[in-house]
Amino acid sequence: MLIDPEKCIACGQCEVYCPVGAITIGDECAEIDFDECTECYNCLRMAHCPADAIYQQKLEWPRTVRSVLSDVLTIAPESGISGRGTEEMKTNEVTGRFKHGWAGIGIEVGRPVVGARFYDVEKIAMAMAKLGVEFESSNPTTSLMSDVKTGKFKDDVLNEKVLSAIIEFSVPLETLDQVLSGLKQVSRQIETVFSLCVASRVAPDGSIPTHSVMHQNGVWFAPNGKTNVGLGRPLIKEDSI
Amino acid sequence: MTHTLHRVGNPESLSRDYILLFMPSKDINHVGSGPKLRKMLEISLKNGAIRIGDCRLGNEYYQGGLDKLLEHVEDRAVVHAVFNDLEKMTAALKELKSADLGLSVVVSGLFDKVRECCKISELPFHTVNNSLGRWGRTDRLPPQDVLELNTMCGHGMVTVKLIEDTATKVKNREMTPEQGAERLFKPCMCGIFNADRAAGLLEAMAQK
Repeated sequence: MLIDPEKCIACGQCEVYCPVGAITIGDECAEIDFDECTECYNCLRMAHCPADAIYQQKLEWPRTVRSVLSDVLTIAPESGISGRGTEEMKTNEVTGRFKHGWAGIGIEVGRPVVGARFYDVEKIAMAMAKLGVEFESSNPTTSLMSDVKTGKFKDDVLNEKVLSAIIEFSVPLETLDQVLSGLKQVSRQIETVFSLCVASRVAPDGSIPTHSVMHQNGVWFAPNGKTNVGLGRPLIKEDSI
Repeated sequence: MTHTLHRVGNPESLSRDYILLFMPSKDINHVGSGPKLRKMLEISLKNGAIRIGDCRLGNEYYQGGLDKLLEHVEDRAVVHAVFNDLEKMTAALKELKSADLGLSVVVSGLFDKVRECCKISELPFHTVNNSLGRWGRTDRLPPQDVLELNTMCGHGMVTVKLIEDTATKVKNREMTPEQGAERLFKPCMCGIFNADRAAGLLEAMAQK
């Protein structure tokens, strides 16, 4: 995103809408730090610039990555849905993506507030790849990897900044403690934050199998979260028998 | 992926914050899902949802009104309804179960309350997604009260600067907490920002 200095009247209306603080207001006009801007569209959409000075420049690779992973209304071709992720557990009763005995992991790098460069996303992905995980193929972040076996990303995206990028995969429950341990280690090597989620099927007795692993590893989890209540049809075979 | 997850807050504040998410699955049941999704939103509104939203085309403010939002819902949309009352959400879930529209429903909120509501509605606790919080450079995050407001838009569109500016305006009585909450709602394109809860949080910030 750019601001036309010939049109801008430095009213400051746009500044508060930048989620990464990339807009500064000078004496005569506002300026967007082009390297920090994530192309999220929030300033253009929300500031209602009275001088019509904010404009979207032509986006070319690799900068296009910023828009896909920062602007909520951009449709990701890999998933076919808006947003940065996939259907994950939201449609699990019909897709069966997360089966009994497995845990779904979502590592949303850059969320909240801070944003992320891909060199940090890569550090985390490579740490997880060492555990032999298979990254979710329909996730737009996976499509930016040059080697899904190692978690290495394409060199030209490494310095791209996005609001967040989600590293997504499933592991057998017995591997979850290794994932948590690996994440503890790599979390000390990055410049940003990540929000972590763990999904699982509820056991027939109503218990949630991932909880005991988290307790054993001293990992906190929130009292609130998401529950799929099984109303999608047709049910996956595992559920219908 | 997880835009309704990772909402920060104490249990009392979160007890007024529930979201129903409705979604078809690609290549399984997405064909013809638009009218069903619209029906799910209508059921939610009838049962007291305080907001509805559409991830694909934007919130009611962005689309120019509730009628337009409902009219524009497409196949493959991901839509939501926000509730500030557990009983009303439970009533909506019961009616959604009866309507049997065949699309996935995900409830976001306090697990113990959601379990109660599933029991009353005779719905299964099928799959859960837990938030394990924030890791890494958490020293770069804003204070808790700002984070509570920021995380109600999972895509980060309700910015820290907008929250701070709005909180200052509420404190200086340039706007009411409700007006401030409405201002914060507008950038949340999915419409999942709970303006009712936000007004309470802004009021508490103004009293500090």
